[in-house]
Amino acid sequence: MDKRPKSHGTPLLRVENLKVYFQGDGKRARAVDGISYEVHQKQTVCIVGESGCGKTVSALSILGLIPSPPGEIVSGKIFFSGQDLLKLDEKTMQNIRGNQIAMVFQEPLTSLNPVFTIGDQLGEAVSTHKSMGAESLKRYMIQLLSDVGIPSPEQRLNDYPHQLSGGQRQRVMIAMALSCDPDLMIADEPTTALDVTVQAQILELLRSIQQKRSMAILYISHDLGVVSAIAHWIYVMYAGIMAEQGNSDQIFRSPRHPYTQGLLASLPSLSKRGKRLYSIPGSVPNPAYKPTGCPFHPRCPHTISTCRKEYPNMCDYGHGHMARCPVLYEKREHTE
Amino acid sequence: MNPGENHIDAPDYIEAPLAPKHTRMQEFGRMLKQNRLAALGFFIFVLFFLCAVTGLILTSGTKPLFNPAMVRLEEKLRPPLSKPNLQALRPDQVPVLNVYLMGTDDLGRDVFARMLQGAWVSLTVGFVAVGISVFIGIFMGGIAGYFGQHHIKAIHILFFLCLIGGIGLVLINAVFAGTALLLLCLSSIVFLLSARDKLPEKTLPAWKGILLGNAVSVDTLIMRIVDIMLCFPSFFLILTVVALLPASIYNIMIVIGLTSWMGTTRFVRAEFLSLREQDFVAAAKALGIGNFRIIFRHIMPNAVAPVLVSATIGIATAILTEAGLSFLGFGVPPPHATWGNILSDGKNFIFDAPWLTFIPGIAILIVVLSFNLFGEGLRDILNPKLRERH
Amino acid sequence: MLSFIGRSVIQKTITLFFVSIVSFLIIHLAPGKPSQVNPMNPKFTPEILERFQKEFHLDKPLYVQYLYFYRGLFTGQTVSWKDNQSVFSKIWGRFLNSLPLFIVGTLITWTLSFPVGIRSAIYRGGIYDRTTTFLSYLLISIPGFFFAYVLIIFVVNHFHVPVIGMETFGIANSSIPHMIMDRIWHLLLPSVLGATGGIAILSRYVRSQMLEVEGQDYIRTAKAKGLPPDQVHYKHAFRNALLPFVTMFGLILPGLIGGSVIIETIFSWPGMGRMAYDAILARDYPVILTVNFVSAVLVLAGTFVSDLLYLVVDPRIRL
Repeated sequence: MDKRPKSHGTPLLRVENLKVYFQGDGKRARAVDGISYEVHQKQTVCIVGESGCGKTVSALSILGLIPSPPGEIVSGKIFFSGQDLLKLDEKTMQNIRGNQIAMVFQEPLTSLNPVFTIGDQLGEAVSTHKSMGAESLKRYMIQLLSDVGIPSPEQRLNDYPHQLSGGQRQRVMIAMALSCDPDLMIADEPTTALDVTVQAQILELLRSIQQKRSMAILYISHDLGVVSAIAHWIYVMYAGIMAEQGNSDQIFRSPRHPYTQGLLASLPSLSKRGKRLYSIPGSVPNPAYKPTGCPFHPRCPHTISTCRKEYPNMCDYGHGHMARCPVLYEKREHTE
Repeated sequence: MNPGENHIDAPDYIEAPLAPKHTRMQEFGRMLKQNRLAALGFFIFVLFFLCAVTGLILTSGTKPLFNPAMVRLEEKLRPPLSKPNLQALRPDQVPVLNVYLMGTDDLGRDVFARMLQGAWVSLTVGFVAVGISVFIGIFMGGIAGYFGQHHIKAIHILFFLCLIGGIGLVLINAVFAGTALLLLCLSSIVFLLSARDKLPEKTLPAWKGILLGNAVSVDTLIMRIVDIMLCFPSFFLILTVVALLPASIYNIMIVIGLTSWMGTTRFVRAEFLSLREQDFVAAAKALGIGNFRIIFRHIMPNAVAPVLVSATIGIATAILTEAGLSFLGFGVPPPHATWGNILSDGKNFIFDAPWLTFIPGIAILIVVLSFNLFGEGLRDILNPKLRERH
Repeated sequence: MLSFIGRSVIQKTITLFFVSIVSFLIIHLAPGKPSQVNPMNPKFTPEILERFQKEFHLDKPLYVQYLYFYRGLFTGQTVSWKDNQSVFSKIWGRFLNSLPLFIVGTLITWTLSFPVGIRSAIYRGGIYDRTTTFLSYLLISIPGFFFAYVLIIFVVNHFHVPVIGMETFGIANSSIPHMIMDRIWHLLLPSVLGATGGIAILSRYVRSQMLEVEGQDYIRTAKAKGLPPDQVHYKHAFRNALLPFVTMFGLILPGLIGGSVIIETIFSWPGMGRMAYDAILARDYPVILTVNFVSAVLVLAGTFVSDLLYLVVDPRIRL
């Protein structure tokens, strides 16, 4: 939870100016519109934003799982351990998926295939990338399941997904993601569909796993509370662009983008008891009908005329803290 | 720092819809443009409809422009586009354009005129049959879906069985047995009325308890009826009934309609079951809106899409069924020409006069194809969930 | 499990009972009596008519007739009015004729539809998909007997093989390979024709099922695991898409009777459908009713089997 490690070296994952558009009904929906971010080894990096702002799409495009016909990666680069994933052929990508980059999805209820046992699906994940004898495979799977905190793992292997609870299924998904010791795990809102208590357990699990296995986690969430608990570094996304980035302190103590400020202001807390909760007016624009200039300007309390016309630049606040709002940046210059 | 405190008035356009709104018709036109096959189907469907209407006008009346029943034995089996032999014909026998556009059949009737007349008849058969089946389907499915949880008392079933049985028996001249059943039916009404006053129910004797107890739910009853109907092989059933009834175009329409409502019932029921649980229905109920209005104003518009699709495809199926019946000799009887019976008459001359087979055959193929394409296109248009998958 | 089977059997028996009543009523309440089929027939003197009516209990009330008929059916004594043969032996003979047609047709349908449907689902929107889509609409829309005649003309003109009936007349004396080839020729066309509609409908259905399943989250999971596409499509997607077809598998049995009337008539194939058609023409009530009853039994047995199969293939259903 402290400052970004100074000894960067090359990041494990670097996304540069990624643009993913969806074609449909004769319109072009700019779901991800030029985002850049980095994930360093052994770090937990969070991408935060409202639903529909392109978080999931940006994660799926790392694995090359954007459904295309409608979707298309228009431009950008995704460097993972030095190679550009977008230039790799399908065969090599298959070798990376699940092996070096694993993913945990939002809906544990529907993300497991209902007609195969847990053992089948877990074993498949392992044996696709590793060759292992049947006996040692079974032992390995039991080990994995107990690692993620599933009781009596041996019997669970023969169970079907519907026989497990939501939290347990998500644990199975995590076990599956861990099975090949990936360097990077992408967790796409893994706790959203779960109860709050289960959510805390899963978060704790992720944290302990990361410490044990020293892998990087790219955690995608709309829940600032969750993010504050685990993130080393935070990216705030809005309508397909990066609004702000920084560590927890920077983002939570001194947010520099009106959108981040709005998000934080709308969090309920004890100090705001009795007051009306703030909510950002309006809603996330449809990616096919985005406003010109700064995409946040229709909802922003600080809008000036240039916001409507010009796409805002990233403004550097030092220590890696950046926000895409020149208006507030200038105000800061004058007040401080 | 908190923007909530210096909250300024939100600009108007925040509340603007996320995407421009389209009316259903605009949406429809746009989807047709994208789904070329469906557009083609729609175009042919409209064309066919116009043909059928003009055909009806041109071939009916006492002195029709095209006379489909005009027999010219001298001019039989003439190929398409051949000129009539003017010497052999009386002036009123000469076809209008002085040419047999589609040739003549084995009785020298103008195939073009017959096709024109048949278009209307085939269309009517399709529409009426599907109309009947859709009506029954919506009715039964709607009741099963909306009132499904209600129970029918054993006494009600007894009452209806006696009533129907009694009337049936009287109709087939078994007056004595029929009257007995009707009396039983009457007594069940008396029983029902007398039992109504005598609450509480605990004191009822066992047999009365059974009679007044809940026998089956409405849903179960209707779905069992559907199961029973599905046990009959449909084409065989249609064939049997049509063969037993006197040959008439109405019987064919009614029989096709009465034997094809089960599918509609099933999915209207499914649709109603899920729609009934939705919040807007609960809201309507909370506002005190009556069942009737909820069904027709709130649920039906949402359930109509799949019905429309299956109706479109049902018309195609009905036209094919009629053609199949014609082939087996149970089709629409002679004074009416349908494409089905032109085709099945033509089969006897398939080597001598292939146009008698190919013209109606291809016409049926094209029209049925257009209905199917249009129906499938309609399904895509009306079902947004499937849209991106196609 | 046992209670499910028990309940299911009881329910189906009740359904069957009602089917028997309804079909009996339909036949007997329809205008026209079997004795009136041919009033001009000089053999049908009033005395014979009376004896006829007595023999088949036509003078009794309807419910007595019903009881007599189904007693006869269950004891296997029902005879055809037309030729006094046992209905069951008639049906059995015709059934054996229909069986090869049915088996070959079903095999063609199921082996072709699945690859076609799956392929067009995987490459949806492509040339292959659009072509097969259009072709299947074409096949659904063509009147069966018109298509049959077109095919017959084609085969007769190009291969010079007569294709009407089960075998060429007078072929019994020729060599065995020749006979087998002849049989196959005669079997091929009707079964291909019987299969076309099925292929078109089934492949469309396979396609939409596959599309439905391919959009599910677990397919994305499978891809994210790094499985090769074949394993994603043919193991994860196909296994799930297959579930609804278990239901259809139970419903192909009744196709033995209902679906084949037209095709058997065209090809003069002495099968079940053709027999049913002749029985309808002759108003041979016992045969019509028995065929109806047998087909209802087949439908119910089919749904029963498919319910059981569902239990086996879908782990989510447990009783």
